[in-house]
Amino acid sequence: MTDDNSDDTARTDGTGIVPPDDETPTWRERKERTTGLSRLTYEYFERSRREDQDLREESDYVERDVLAFPVWPHELIRNLALTSFFVGMIFFLSATLPPHLGAPANPSQTPAVILPDWYLYWSFGLLKLGPLNPDLAIIGGDKLLADRTYGVLANVVVVGFIAIVPFLNKGSARRPVEQPFWAAIGVMGVVFAVFISALSIKNLVPMDPHLLFDLTFLVPPLAGGMAYAILKTMREGYMYDLNRRYYKLRPPK
Amino acid sequence: MADEFAKGLGLLTGAGLIWMVLAGWYKTPSFEGAQLTGSPPGELSMLGELAIVFLESMFWLAIFGALLFWVGVPLGRELYAKVEGE
Repeated sequence: MTDDNSDDTARTDGTGIVPPDDETPTWRERKERTTGLSRLTYEYFERSRREDQDLREESDYVERDVLAFPVWPHELIRNLALTSFFVGMIFFLSATLPPHLGAPANPSQTPAVILPDWYLYWSFGLLKLGPLNPDLAIIGGDKLLADRTYGVLANVVVVGFIAIVPFLNKGSARRPVEQPFWAAIGVMGVVFAVFISALSIKNLVPMDPHLLFDLTFLVPPLAGGMAYAILKTMREGYMYDLNRRYYKLRPPK
Repeated sequence: MADEFAKGLGLLTGAGLIWMVLAGWYKTPSFEGAQLTGSPPGELSMLGELAIVFLESMFWLAIFGALLFWVGVPLGRELYAKVEGE
């Protein structure tokens, strides 16, 4: 860097004054920004961006340089604080609320209520989509495919869709506002998982089972549409432009 | 705005944690029936009675504290700005 901008030598300690462009706020605008967290976020990004820019402008810069905070002390102090909090919370809860040890299970007696673990309720609910299954009957009137077979095939559909998503969207977005459509797809999936789980225990849900069945398929698209609209609106905001400007300076891959 | 969110969240989680522990001590007669919402035992010492009062106050502090900072304070600021702007 000995050419034209020698008067503006790169300072990598983060104290350099950022040259104004059309997106840089003036000092008056900076002083008028009084909310704490957004100001802190702004200064953090601006400083990181400036450090990246300074390092890139050095003549011996090569792309393999890793531009980030060092692991010690920055990352480790933060991680130790988080780890200490969660370990302390485990100690606190195990000391104050010791778990109840029930009677040992009786293998010779079938329990009254048989349910899978809660994280498999969605798969259990897919077995209860009877009204959706096509009635393909042969002459005798027997169904060609039983409802339970359709239930297993529904699992294949759901797992297949989840497996396809990474091939449709590479996941380059850092946050939902950058790709509202795919974020809305994700919201739809989460809401569908919640409702299909509730459907699997419909005898325990204080609601009309038919209404719950309809809601299972009507609410997820509605929630996805609402998430899409909200995220599209959030893209108009100030912080989105700021973050996009910061990440534009990142290497493409 | 973010500070108000943190205050509301801190009240919700902090008071909720205290409520959960005390309700686990005093309002969980057995693990088969109602948990955290059961009826407290009849014979309680003065410490136990104080704990019941503290438990109930923590429950409502968690709810109304979060409501205050997430709804009340922003609403008050909007109204104040509107009145000042007139």
